[in-house]
Formats: sequence, C-alpha cells, structure tokens
Amino acid sequence: MDEAVRVEGLVKRFGSFTAVDGVSFAVKAGEIFGILGPNGAGKTTTLEVIEGLQKPTQGQVTVLGMDILKQPQRIKARIGVQLQSSSYFDYLSLRELLTLMGRFFGKRVQPDGLLEQVGLLEKAKSQVKHLSGGQKQRFTVAASLVNDPELLILDEPTIGLDPQSRRHLWELIRQVHQRGVTVMLTTHYMDEAQTLCQRLAIMDRGRLVAVDTPQNLIGRLKATYSVKLVLPQPLTPAQLASLNGGPGSPGVQTLENNTYILRLDSSPGALDKVLDTIVRGNISLEHLEVTPVTLEDVFLELTGQELRD
Amino acid sequence: MLALTLANLKMMARNYHTTFWALFFPLLLVVVFGLFDVGGGPGPSSLVVIDQDNTPRSRLFIQKLGEVESLELQEQGVELLVARQQVGRGELDYLLVISQGFGDSPAGAAAPALALTYDAGETQRSQLVEGLVRDLAAQTAAGAGPLAASPLVAEGLAVEAPSYFDIVLLGLVGLGTMTHSIISIAVRITAYRNQSIYKRLLVTPLPVWKYFVAEISAHLVLAVVQASIILGLGILAFGAHLPGNLLATMAVVALGSLVFLNIGFIISAWSNTPAAASGMGNAVALPMVFFGGAFFSTASLPWVLPQLVQVLPLTPMLEAARQVAVHGVPLWQTWPQLAVLGGWVAATALVAVKVFRFS
Repeated sequence: MDEAVRVEGLVKRFGSFTAVDGVSFAVKAGEIFGILGPNGAGKTTTLEVIEGLQKPTQGQVTVLGMDILKQPQRIKARIGVQLQSSSYFDYLSLRELLTLMGRFFGKRVQPDGLLEQVGLLEKAKSQVKHLSGGQKQRFTVAASLVNDPELLILDEPTIGLDPQSRRHLWELIRQVHQRGVTVMLTTHYMDEAQTLCQRLAIMDRGRLVAVDTPQNLIGRLKATYSVKLVLPQPLTPAQLASLNGGPGSPGVQTLENNTYILRLDSSPGALDKVLDTIVRGNISLEHLEVTPVTLEDVFLELTGQELRD
Repeated sequence: MLALTLANLKMMARNYHTTFWALFFPLLLVVVFGLFDVGGGPGPSSLVVIDQDNTPRSRLFIQKLGEVESLELQEQGVELLVARQQVGRGELDYLLVISQGFGDSPAGAAAPALALTYDAGETQRSQLVEGLVRDLAAQTAAGAGPLAASPLVAEGLAVEAPSYFDIVLLGLVGLGTMTHSIISIAVRITAYRNQSIYKRLLVTPLPVWKYFVAEISAHLVLAVVQASIILGLGILAFGAHLPGNLLATMAVVALGSLVFLNIGFIISAWSNTPAAASGMGNAVALPMVFFGGAFFSTASLPWVLPQLVQVLPLTPMLEAARQVAVHGVPLWQTWPQLAVLGGWVAATALVAVKVFRFS
C-alpha cells in the first residue's frame, strides 16, 4: 500500500460554518506528513474526520485502504491517535491506564515497555495529574501506541511545551517513525513543521493552500533572504515604488501595523541596494530584520497573513 | 468490558473522598434513627370497631370515634378473630369491641361493655387512646350524667410487628441508592465529557455499549456494597430486625439502582458542568426522598399524592424491599412493584439512549 491516507474533496460544515472546504491530499505510507496552519484553519477537523470522530459533509476519505464511513472500527483498530486535549481516567496509574487502553483494542500490552520508550518508566505508578506538561504529552504518545499502530495521528503534539520538551517529543516521534510507522501531525509551529515533516500541507480558512516538501515550498519563493521593516508610519506611494521592483526583489508585501516584507535572492548587492533606497528615501525605521526565508515566508506569500502562535 | 468494570471500581475505591461522603449521609441518618427514638410521626392510628350491641348509643359512639382526627376508622365487618390477628401482627393499631348491653348501661356501670385490644409495646399512645375511648363512651351515655369511667377492659397484645427503625432502615437504603446512583453517574459523565475522555474512547474500537455496561456494572456493585453497609450498621449496631431474604432485597436494590443510573445518564445530557449535574441530581432525588416513602408512610400524604407517588420509582422499590426484608415476603410476590420498576428501567433507558451525548 502506497498511501496511508487519501482525502478527496473533503467538506465539513457545522451548521452554516464551513470548517473544511474541499480539501484533497494523500499521505504516503512511511512518511511524516504535517498539516500546517493557524488556529481555525481546519486542521483538527480534518484529522477528526480521518480518525472517525466526525462524519464528512462531502468527499471521501480512506485510511489504510479502508473507507472511513464503511469500516470505522477496523480503521480505529489500526491507527493510534493523540488528541489535542487528551485527558485520562483519574485515579489510575500510568501503568494501569496503558493496560486498560490496550484492552480497548483487545490487546494485552506491556505497559513498562511503552513507558520506557517515552522515558516515563520511573513514573509508572504515578497518575497523569502528577505529570509535567512535557511528561503528559509523552504519555499521550505512549497511549496512542498501545495498539502498535500502522498510522500515528498527532494533533498539535507540542502545543504549550517548553523548547526542551518539544525537542524531546520530536526525537520520540522520529523514533516511532523509524520503526516504520506513518506519522501524520498538525502544527502551527513553523520550526516543527520544517524540522520534523517530510511533506507538508498548508491550510488556511478551511482550504488547502499547498502540499509539498518543506524545501520545495521554500524554493517556490525564489528568494534567499527576507527583509522585514517595521516603520513608525506607513510608506508613501513614492517610497513604496522605490522599494518595489528593485533588482533582486520580487516585490514588497504589506502587512498590518506598518510592517513590510521584502524577499531577496542571493544576487550580489541585493541587500545593499535595499538599504541604500531606505537611506536615500529618508525612510525612518523602528525595526529591521534580515533572515533566511522560512515556511513563515511561504505562508505569508500564499495567504497574505502571518502565521501567529 | 470486565477490565473496564474493574478499572471503574478501582477508580471509585481510590476516590474514597467522594465515596465516603456519598455513604456518610445515609449512615449518619442510620445512627440518628438508631440512637434516638425518632417515631414515624403523629400519623393516625388505625382502629377497627366491632359493634355487637348495634344500638343508637353504640352507633353514636362509633360516629364520635370517627370524628377523632388521630384515629383512622377502618372498614367495619371484620371478624373478631381476624382483627385480633391483625393487631398481633402489627397491621392494625387498635381493636374495639362493643358488647351487647352497651346501649343500656349508664355511664359508670360496673359491667364491662367495651374491650380495647392494642400493641402492648405502645403503652404511652395506648393510654391516650384508652382515655379517649372512655371519654367518648361516657359522653354518649343516656342522660347527661356526670362523666365517669366507662366499663372498659383494655388488653395489650405482644406484637411482633416491625419497628419504625426497621421500616426506615430500608428507606435509608433507598435514599443512599437513589442519591448516589443519580448524582454519581451524572457528575462523572459530565466531567468525562468536559475533559474529552469520551473523545479518547471514541478513537478506539471499543464498542460504546461495552462502555455503558461496564459503567453500570461498577455502579451496581457499589450500590449493593453501600446497601450492605447501611443494613449491616442498622442490624449489628442498632438491632434492626430483618427476617427476610437479604439477597433478594439486594436484587430489589440493584433493580432500583438501574432506574436511578438511567436517570443520571439523562441528567448528564442536559448538564454542562459537574456542579450543574450535582444540582440537577439533587433536584430530582430530594422530592422523591420526601414523597417516595423513605421516612414515613405515603398513605399519610394529603390530597391525591398517595396515589401519585405510587408511580415514582422510589416508592415501588421501597415497598418491594420492605416486603422482602421486613415482612419476609418472597421476592416473586412483590411482582407488582417489580413490574413498575421494570417499566421505569425500560422507559428511562429509552430516553437515556435518545438524549445521551458524548460531546
């Protein structure tokens, strides 16, 4: 089987609100596939349809070659799911919870082995409420592995975690992936998407904007650097014209709060010319930032808005 | 399913704080009713009058007895022997026999024309009734002579009737079962739903019905344990006399608990927070405690309430439990009450399935 998930023309409406609007993509077996987008983009709803928690309004979804409407129980038996806000039964230890979760899949699991994988063996007798945020997220990954799934679905797995905990979790996800498990995750963190995912779908306002590898998505920009200008007042049309269309510049993108983005290729003197235009045009600056282009720029280019945390 | 049932029981046992307080109130009432002689309230005493005299005076006398609020005159025409047996079993409070010659004997006559039979254990109340009977007999004497002691023979029978504590102990079992079943399940489900625990279950292949069976099984076990503790305390610490089959009593408790758990499921569908679920559970349970016959006989309720409360689930549950535990009636003979409970189980289950929501 080449595809772990295929989504075709997915539409999901809640009353008059359209959460997912005609989304199509496929997740290849054995890859780490990410859905990137801001809050409210429709990422979680898309995942919930794939997990069988929501029924699609329109479209077709197959998971591991099975239709989600026709064989939901068989799909659930073969996938592992980590929900965005996962809670567990109170008053049961981590070991007892994993054993119980395994029974839901008709399996007798070795809870200590799973806990060791996620570095929580010493917490086997603790209850979830006594874990830190990072430990809790690692436990949710362990809980999603009780059935030895072929496809692991993670919804915002590192949300709210400190940088160190996030890196620990990335490492854990890579380890699971190396065992041959297809991983599908949502995130609104650019660095997470860029570092962890082999392919990305970018979603905004319920629609799919692009699907490709992070490198190809960045490559589409045909730029190497991004220059961000924050000004005390808006540029005049003359100032904007002087910055726009300069050599090596694909154009100025205007954002909110007197913020402007220029993307430059690596041609010699491109940055010097921009700086010279700023000085000669008497443009006063509050802030200037030059960075290599990232997925943030891709998102900005594709949607015209910043991807905020 | 068994694993989930056991896990549920484990969670309940570890959540000892909630479990303790759920049990505390019924147990506290057992102690209160056991330590202090809290009577069944000043309900009217039942009285059967056998009129062997059948004279205008005896009929006037019976009429005056009927006007006394604290006496409930029963249907006439009962045979003497049957009525005596009823007093002996505690089913009837007083038997008054008006002998021939009562209508002719003037007040103060020496020949006894009245015989009052009562429970020898109810000395204080019986003395009051005896005095009342004497007064009324004297008032109906021919002529307006001075009031004098009427010719009355009073006989106290050793009655093996259940005490008020025996009766109320089963009421407390019903109270504990009902409040814990309704509130515990409603609060638990609402909390699970708010914490997205159901979402977590729904992404597993566990069939939903297995979850419900496990949840209900664990609560039924707890209801039976709770009832056993309440009955155990009542019997061992306060000498409650329950000659009936206690296993059969537990079957009644379990059936009642099933109704109340279903009501808890229904409440959970309409509550958005555990606090709201608790409040709604109390709002449903408390009226039933008062009107369902937990503490006093439903017969003493005013207006049409005695008939209306018969359709509440607590009333048939308590009646069946008392028949079995207190009066030693075989379980199958309580089929009318069990049928009503069965109807409640079916009706509430249908509504629960219809309104239940996971999110």
